[in-house]
Amino acid sequence: MAFALLVSACAGSHVDEPESPLPSDERADYAIFALRCSKCHSLARPLDSGIDDDEYWRRYVERMRRQPASGISLADTVPILRFLRAYSRAQRKRKQAQMEPPADDASAPNARTPRVPGSR
Amino acid sequence: MTLFACLLTLGVLLGLFAPRPLRAAEEYNFAGSAQLDYHYVASGPRNQDVPGPSSTFQGFTMEAGLKVAVDISDHLSANVKACYGCHGFDIDMAYFDYRARDEFNLRVGRFSPSFGAFNLRHDPANHMLSDKPLPYDMGRMLRKGDWNNGVLPSPFPSSGVEIGGSHWAGTTLQFDYALYAVTGFKNYNDPHPTDLNFQETHLPYFVGSAVRPATGARLAFTARGSATVDATLGASGMLGSYDLKSELTYVIVGADFALRVQRTAFRFEYLLRRQQFDTQNPDIFKYAIAERGGDFFTKQGAFAEVEQPLSSLFDVTARVDGMLRRGNVSNLAIGSGADAATSLSPLAYRSYVIRETLGLECALERNFRLKGSAEFWQFSYPDSLGQKTALSMHVGAVGSF
Repeated sequence: MAFALLVSACAGSHVDEPESPLPSDERADYAIFALRCSKCHSLARPLDSGIDDDEYWRRYVERMRRQPASGISLADTVPILRFLRAYSRAQRKRKQAQMEPPADDASAPNARTPRVPGSR
Repeated sequence: MTLFACLLTLGVLLGLFAPRPLRAAEEYNFAGSAQLDYHYVASGPRNQDVPGPSSTFQGFTMEAGLKVAVDISDHLSANVKACYGCHGFDIDMAYFDYRARDEFNLRVGRFSPSFGAFNLRHDPANHMLSDKPLPYDMGRMLRKGDWNNGVLPSPFPSSGVEIGGSHWAGTTLQFDYALYAVTGFKNYNDPHPTDLNFQETHLPYFVGSAVRPATGARLAFTARGSATVDATLGASGMLGSYDLKSELTYVIVGADFALRVQRTAFRFEYLLRRQQFDTQNPDIFKYAIAERGGDFFTKQGAFAEVEQPLSSLFDVTARVDGMLRRGNVSNLAIGSGADAATSLSPLAYRSYVIRETLGLECALERNFRLKGSAEFWQFSYPDSLGQKTALSMHVGAVGSF
């Protein structure tokens, strides 16, 4: 009974929203990515995979889509890939910014990596 | 085999420490996980002075796996996974997938054939509790020696071929099927086999002497109620023989249901194994061999669980699982190679175990999590201390990359 109360009290409170809000289009893409991909594994798996090649993401997501009972339809792959590519781009920019020598504020690259809490 | 294992491990480690952009460009994907778990049994049954081949792992246990997936082309991919766990070192996966289309995939090599829903999540990084549900238990349950593990200890890699595929009807219904023929389970070591020897199945060399392969099939339907609700219903079956003469059969059937509402998951699975045994030496059995239907036992298992994210840091899981075994009982230790009973099994003609688990998982990082759970066990028979119940606790950590 206590457990049921705890669950019902907390239901829906899982933080799917980014701490630092993503642009609205990326936010919708992230929601689909988080919902579909967390069915079988933690989101750390794709987010920390080190993949930053668009073609490779396409094959990776295709392989996941074909997993039995994945629940990932062909239409789902569009927003999922859009999010992963945006995530990779931001990761690349962040890495480049770290490798470049310090510059004045005016020329600093605008590298923002989406922060994706709840990405377990 | 040892050399192969060393080379594989070396290869995986080299890949692991290679610069990530290089690996990405080559379209290799390395992944891995490791779980360290501490199991404390607060009250009996003890793993000492228990008659029969009973044992319980207490203290630290380690499970680790390293996997490489290679997308060779749009139609061909390969997966190799080495793992170290309950059974020692094993190659959990070493197969090629050739996909002519979504509806037709040919898998060849060593893999766990499609059975049930849990096995896809058997890696400790992919399930919230420290141990597996009882029907799929591989060595973590109390009194595991009495029960010879679960109904179908997961994973269950075997060498063979599987044809499978998926078909979407619109965007709301997914249909999956799989048909396979694999080496299957074994017990070649016992002169009068009375159960599957899972340890033998995991040992090198990965060959089978039985001429007749084990065959099986799985069907599953996934339906979407809305963008955030989906449900899966599946049925699986497997038929094989496990002795050298291919005379003793096992049949495993299962049904599974999963419902997901946003990130809340409810899962239910039921498994039944009908296991034929050799009755040529009646002295090794606890009971007289019945004239009709006296050459098999059945083992059923089921679990129901709810996973609920509480916050960005915490998840809670509640699970009820159990097993029921019916039939004559062997007094031999499985895989011992002995031909005479050395102890008396505590199991009765009808024995059951029920477990209730409540677990909490905390994500310190998104790929490093702490797991804690408490388990209350009820057995139908007492241990050597006269206890039918037990309380145990798990505290562990799991990391993945």
